[in-house]
Amino acid sequence: MRPVIISGAGMIPFERRDEDSLVDMLAMASLNAMDDANLGDRPIDSVYVGNMASGLFNHQVSVASSLVDRLSLMPAAAERIENGPASGGSAIKNGYLAVASGYNDIVLVVGGEKMREVIGPKATDIVACMTHPEAEYIYGVTLPAMAGMYTRLYMEKYGVTREHLTLVAIKNQENGLLNPYAHIQMKITMEGILTHPQAHVNSPIVADPIHLYDCCPVSDGAAAVILTTVDIANELNKPLVSIDGVGQATDTQTLQERSDPTDLKAVTIASEKAFRMAGIKPKDIDVAELHDAFTILEIAESEHAGFFPKGEGAKALKAGETRIGGKLPINPSGGLKARGHPVGATGVAQIVELVWQLRGEAGERQVKKAANGFSLNFGGFGNNVLAFVLRRKS
Amino acid sequence: MKTITAYKCKGCGHVMYPHHFRCLECKGREFEEITPSTKGKLITYTSVEQLPWGSDERRRVLGIVEFDNGVKALGVIKSDSPKIGMKVIASWEPVRVIKGEQVYGLNFQPD
Repeated sequence: MRPVIISGAGMIPFERRDEDSLVDMLAMASLNAMDDANLGDRPIDSVYVGNMASGLFNHQVSVASSLVDRLSLMPAAAERIENGPASGGSAIKNGYLAVASGYNDIVLVVGGEKMREVIGPKATDIVACMTHPEAEYIYGVTLPAMAGMYTRLYMEKYGVTREHLTLVAIKNQENGLLNPYAHIQMKITMEGILTHPQAHVNSPIVADPIHLYDCCPVSDGAAAVILTTVDIANELNKPLVSIDGVGQATDTQTLQERSDPTDLKAVTIASEKAFRMAGIKPKDIDVAELHDAFTILEIAESEHAGFFPKGEGAKALKAGETRIGGKLPINPSGGLKARGHPVGATGVAQIVELVWQLRGEAGERQVKKAANGFSLNFGGFGNNVLAFVLRRKS
Repeated sequence: MKTITAYKCKGCGHVMYPHHFRCLECKGREFEEITPSTKGKLITYTSVEQLPWGSDERRRVLGIVEFDNGVKALGVIKSDSPKIGMKVIASWEPVRVIKGEQVYGLNFQPD
């Protein structure tokens, strides 16, 4: 397979975007990535759209066909890639394969979701459609409920506390303040969220032990990248950030069928595959974007991906190792917690952030001397996971 | 009591719920249908206070139970003070209205 370069990266601010349709958002993010790549009128061979549930959220399907029409990209090949919350990562993987294989030279990958078209409990129900119809969904299980059951087990096994969980929220919301694309622009404190006697008013229980500030917001948004060959990237005069590792793994649909439900095997295997393919190790990573849909996941993923031993992630977090300026900054973008989680956009937005970090274009949240980046896009409750290793070529 | 149907692999004896077309362990395709025992213990739980569309409850405790015969399943926990390891007894009760129809499922009370 030949090397694949991310020649363009762009997104639109994640927020509640009542004025924009899903396809509008996909188109705006795509144009930002196309312009960033200096693409001009060069034809795009294929378009991969990461989106989980346009049919349910927006009563619209075939959004990839609609997008190429809106962007006047015909006769480019186009399809929507649906893989739950890992739809964005799966779209990146498909775009990668198209260029790496030699089938395509220029590919647009764009992920997006418009979730705020429906009210909160409807959005919760639509997202819960990814659970098992008979064994989970009928009980009213939600993704926060899955995370609640998981968090309880993780706390019990590894001594993670609500203080640790709140530290993830505080860190990521601080980082979000440095990211103009982040949905949540608000500093929070340990006192306001956890320790004050009235803290539960600010951060009520969602699915205990998970509280409101342990959860990502429900957002609208889109993010896009242009993937090309090395030769075309050089012609476009863009810095060379390459996708060196792509890993993906699956696990049982339900938590209860895993022999140790705290063990995120798919995260471990997907990460190992990505590192093996890239020929580097977790210790070589300078910046990581992890899938913190719930605060526990940043801690658990940082361990399962190989950055810290099991049970040590919370300690590294508390010691400040995962802050910008720490040994391994995690989620300098603010993560899903602050940037937001328009489901299909997330896997692409993580890659966009890494491109900016590796090019040195991340502004106030720039991680110094970032040359190697890692992202993890977590689908279902850990049943379909993608991991990527990105590197800046000198 | 009506209850769920679980599956025991005829090849290796692995117990599964929900249904799989191939055994999670040995990839075998033949299963004996089994019903869970009525008693079990709570593995984990959560009190859900933001329920999805269509629910008229303020909160609902959900949890995963391991039955005495090895079947594991999610269900509604009828207890205000659940604990990991708590012994529970199963019943079959209405759990959700879906497309206008009352759907039944597992409920668990402290034993």
